[in-house]
Amino acid sequence: MKQNFKLGGSLVAALVLGTVLGGSVSAQTLTMGLRAGPDSIDPHWSTLGSQAEALRHIFDTLVMSDENLGLKPGLATSWKPIDETTWEFKIREGVKFHDGSELTAEDVKFSIDRIPVVTGPMSMTIYTKQVAETKVADKYTLHVKTKAPAPTLPNDFIRLFVVSKNVGMEARNEQFNSGKAAIGTGPYKFVSWEPKGDLVLERNDSYWGAKQPWQKVIRKEIPSDPARMAALKSGQVDLVNYVPATDYAAMQKDKSVDTFVADSVYFLNLTPNVKETLPRKVKVDGKEIDANPLRDPKVREAMDLAIDRKTLVRVVLEGLGRPANQLMPSNFFGGNKNLPERPYDLAKAKQLLADAGYPKGFEIDFHCTNNRLPGDGAVCEALSQMWARAGLKVNANALNGTVFFPAQQKGEFSLWMSGWGTLTGEASYTYGSLVHTADPQLGLGAFNKQGYSNPEVDKLLQEGARTMDDTKRRALFEKVTEVSMNDRALIPTVQIQTVWAAKKGAITIPPRVDQETLAYEIKPKS
Amino acid sequence: MIGFLIQRVLQALMVVIAMSIIVFLGVYAIGNPIDVMIDPASDQALREALIHRYGLDRPLYEQYFVFMNNMLHGDLGESFIYRLPVLSLIWSRFPATLELALTAMMIATCVGIPLGLWSGYKPESLSAKAIMAFSVLGFSVPSFWVGLLLIMTFAVELGWLPSGGRGPTTQVLGMNLSITSLEGWSYIILPAFNLALFKLGLLIRLTRAGTVEVMSSDYVRFARAQGLSESKVVGLHVLKNISIPIVTVFGLELGSTLAFAVVTETVFNWPGMGKLIIDSITVLDRPVMVAYLILVVFLFVLINLVVDLVYGQLDPRIRVKAAS
Repeated sequence: MKQNFKLGGSLVAALVLGTVLGGSVSAQTLTMGLRAGPDSIDPHWSTLGSQAEALRHIFDTLVMSDENLGLKPGLATSWKPIDETTWEFKIREGVKFHDGSELTAEDVKFSIDRIPVVTGPMSMTIYTKQVAETKVADKYTLHVKTKAPAPTLPNDFIRLFVVSKNVGMEARNEQFNSGKAAIGTGPYKFVSWEPKGDLVLERNDSYWGAKQPWQKVIRKEIPSDPARMAALKSGQVDLVNYVPATDYAAMQKDKSVDTFVADSVYFLNLTPNVKETLPRKVKVDGKEIDANPLRDPKVREAMDLAIDRKTLVRVVLEGLGRPANQLMPSNFFGGNKNLPERPYDLAKAKQLLADAGYPKGFEIDFHCTNNRLPGDGAVCEALSQMWARAGLKVNANALNGTVFFPAQQKGEFSLWMSGWGTLTGEASYTYGSLVHTADPQLGLGAFNKQGYSNPEVDKLLQEGARTMDDTKRRALFEKVTEVSMNDRALIPTVQIQTVWAAKKGAITIPPRVDQETLAYEIKPKS
Repeated sequence: MIGFLIQRVLQALMVVIAMSIIVFLGVYAIGNPIDVMIDPASDQALREALIHRYGLDRPLYEQYFVFMNNMLHGDLGESFIYRLPVLSLIWSRFPATLELALTAMMIATCVGIPLGLWSGYKPESLSAKAIMAFSVLGFSVPSFWVGLLLIMTFAVELGWLPSGGRGPTTQVLGMNLSITSLEGWSYIILPAFNLALFKLGLLIRLTRAGTVEVMSSDYVRFARAQGLSESKVVGLHVLKNISIPIVTVFGLELGSTLAFAVVTETVFNWPGMGKLIIDSITVLDRPVMVAYLILVVFLFVLINLVVDLVYGQLDPRIRVKAAS
């Protein structure tokens, strides 16, 4: 609590102030109880989702995204490729920073140049890695030269926050956290913040966009689920995000709250390790065997068919999900709308296992996270029971992400499940990382730890990466989706849905597929 | 006395070294912190570059010696996550935990010792039995559950108190404290009570056991024979003679409350050190973990030192021994 309230004089005054500060919805103040917050006020420090979500209030991005991650103009009013390796961005005119200075192409160039200098372990250079050079063509025009044809550059730039060049190259987290350098063009101005504490914002009355209904926004970080729900019920906050499934069920009967459900970009995907030998060998009749049964497409198909996705959604996720048939929503760029729903067919699964030479099934270790996404641990346990019905003995190990990710990176798992969110809203982000052959030279397949390699998929992905024409590129990625999903390079299980809750009749929250809770999109109900 | 102090400081240093080695080995065994922090969209080259930048590609002993060397120069490093010096990061959250722990200890002491004395003084009375039943609840019911019940009752149902967070703060002696205002108290009272509950049960039982034992001793009978009032017998002779174990437990509990109030801080969203360390562990933010645990070691050593000095004040026999 950095803000020092000078409580003048009597206790009565303190109490009055207390009721105002702790009080319920006042038309002008929006208090949000959110699960996570930023790690810094420097928008170039980290790619953390909750960091971007919080700092969007203070800083604007060059390109913005709508609730389905479609692109829309931000500080750039338009953009177009002027040759194979150059993008031209037209910068919005008449935009003022919070300190009164005017936004020009120089500030955007400065922001792009600043990222590699200041960014931290969750490196923002992933959004600028395609950039070779930026040139200021005139005051409101920026030319971005890329190392190779870069059709997805505008998608990367939905995370390109623009800071004022006046903050200088020397400003670091401390200057931003204190507010000195926290000068953006966004709808709200920075007032105060402390790590894992409250972020306090006030309205920027000279904002270029729509007029904001909230005079003051307080973003409280409340990671514990019960504590967050209690804060809503006691009236300390106006809304909360990530309502747990059990509370959601109770809230639907509760007359004092409204709930808002949204599809999320997060999918729980199974990954079968298809390398020559498994790090944890499978057992048949209690004896370890050297062969890797997961290399057999029949076995992967059998495991897929044994998953009852509808039950997963209805029972395990309390209805907060959708059966998945690919790694991202099919309406995203490159998603495939023609793929059928994945069937549940236990008899066929058993038959396929027998055909593959495992009539009595086998025993395998299965790892997954238990604290990353709502329901991940529960889905994991449920899957192992579903496979048991098909005759497989699957030892489910639900691990904390802190233990899971380093072990996954070291290649210690034979079969695993983890969440993946397509945060840029287009296919190259997901399929380039997960199903392209692991290739450090090309920088592709970085998270392909399962050893999947299909020359056809690789070729399509590489071609897609350099195709500037949207229609052609979309077709290429649709093909990638189709081939890799039919190969079962990964097996999608469910798409997670998330829930916001707010006081009854107080506000409307437009649900966003990226789960961001943005005060400037929330409106009071009149 | 000086020798005694030096001995304690040396002890603390040994513990710090042992502990820092354990943390380094522990984090190493779990894996590379970069793998927990890294963004899924990163490619292999970026991962390598980051590992190199944070020195995580060097042999473990080398990483450890770099750390120790910096520490000897008074630099405990910067957090991977916040890029802020770990000491100032921890220090910024210390006042919140300190006031919570002290308030909790105060509640436990002011309520627990009188109740314990009473139930030891009149062990057969109904009230004493009720107090003992309460004390069993105090340390057998999990504190996160009690915390949730308190929130449900006082914040959600009755609406008297806020459900969590910390009230407005004012600066006192360079620390931001919230107990200076009535509103601050409305925020602290529930978590402090929740945190006090276990210690309350402990202190009641400890005080009662000592009182029962001492009440039947010769000097109590002599004191009574001298014609001293009952309040003086209990308040002076009994209390003083049972205070050594109470002070010991008080010291230990204060230390562990300061260092590990995690559960209460989480349930009540109290911005203290406990939440910081848990968050740091989940992202393997090693500099914060090590620095925090080093501070905890020093804290315990300091509290034990104070406890030892208080022993001397309470019992002259111990003072004589320490001096010899």
